[in-house]
Amino acid sequence: MKNFSFVNVENKADALEVLHREKEKSCLVAGATNVMPFIRYEKINDKTLINIRNLQELRFIREEEDKIEIGPLTTIYDLENSEIIEKYAPALREAAQDFADPTTRNSATIGGNIANASPAADTATPLLALNAVVVAESKSGVRKIPIQEFFLGVNKTALQCDELITVIEVPKNAANSNSCFIKLGLRNAMAISVVSVAAGVELAEGKVAHANVALGSVAPTPVRAKTVEAALVGKEFTPGLVEETAKLVTEDISPIDDVRASGEYRKTVAAVLVKRALKKSGKI
Amino acid sequence: MSEINITVTVNGTKINANVKPEMNLLKFLRSQGFYDVKCGCEMGDCGTCTVIFNGSSVKSCITLAAQADGGTVWTNKGLGEVDELTQKLQKAFVEHGSIQCGFCTPGMIIAGKAYIEKGGKPDRNEIKKAISGNLCRCTGYKKIVDAIYDVAEQMSK
Repeated sequence: MKNFSFVNVENKADALEVLHREKEKSCLVAGATNVMPFIRYEKINDKTLINIRNLQELRFIREEEDKIEIGPLTTIYDLENSEIIEKYAPALREAAQDFADPTTRNSATIGGNIANASPAADTATPLLALNAVVVAESKSGVRKIPIQEFFLGVNKTALQCDELITVIEVPKNAANSNSCFIKLGLRNAMAISVVSVAAGVELAEGKVAHANVALGSVAPTPVRAKTVEAALVGKEFTPGLVEETAKLVTEDISPIDDVRASGEYRKTVAAVLVKRALKKSGKI
Repeated sequence: MSEINITVTVNGTKINANVKPEMNLLKFLRSQGFYDVKCGCEMGDCGTCTVIFNGSSVKSCITLAAQADGGTVWTNKGLGEVDELTQKLQKAFVEHGSIQCGFCTPGMIIAGKAYIEKGGKPDRNEIKKAISGNLCRCTGYKKIVDAIYDVAEQMSK
């Protein structure tokens, strides 16, 4: 039985107040591109829909000294067209360019994309590789959640029911500025990824100083390819090294069979995409 | 469960109505007689319900009606009466035979308009990307791309 109510909020303070009051009944709605199918398929029935679409104060992309700050209400269209994102987080820009279709990108927001925590969320994979930090706020205070601790499972995050994402921080560093994103879908538009990979490497005198590799759609949450990363660091960055280490990605992932692809196929293709992403990021 | 009262300016006319909290903008528009906004998949995949909401193209089936309170909506039919670019696109769709059953046409025209307004050039690949969220099951897309290309070319001169 559908039992929804609707509250419009005009500013962050109001939003935190309503979240505090409604607790588990809260369902934040911004672009609505995930929430509406959930309502249609009765995945949610008894919620207070809190409209934050007009919270312009949370729609920004700012450059600070050592990081960039992205407001949760930033649309995918904004990400696609930001010079700051292009310069410091190209993986995120490339993910935005592959995201659904241009009309959906006008509505969908980065905050909604990660809060929904789909294993295939297109912005989640790059944010994981970029070592982003999610700033969450509630009436009782502010806390910073490293993105590695943010995704807990399919549609599950570390956010409490009264918390609102207020900023997504991305550190400025060479690995992030070199980052790239590759998505394999069954077609180019409106495709949910079969496998997605984001990678960023920083080289020092030809050797790997830092290597960040993340994958989507290969586990219940987006995952870091820790085995691959460990095998790269400190070594001379050559096509041969990339070829060998990319294969190790099967240690880091646990893909399932679903309507889009088999787990076996995902494992094979993940290694190929990791290889391509590393080569692209390290420019070899 | 209580209904909420919203006021939305649709095609230049203020409309006041009570809606359920979970109603989508598409159902609201059709309930008010704007039948040129088509209901296809109702899950954001097919694009035929695309409208201009507060200046951006959006899929009205995945927008809450209540979110449109105080806002402005333009549909393909309404734009066709006042907007020169939409008129050009509508004319080009007829001339190029881009309409067979016509069900996808309102969304295609708005996607084409959004593309050209953002500075889109006459470039077939870019046009295909611009309409990638709009499905057509009749034409094979070629004639739709032809029509948008034609108008993009006219506008870039």
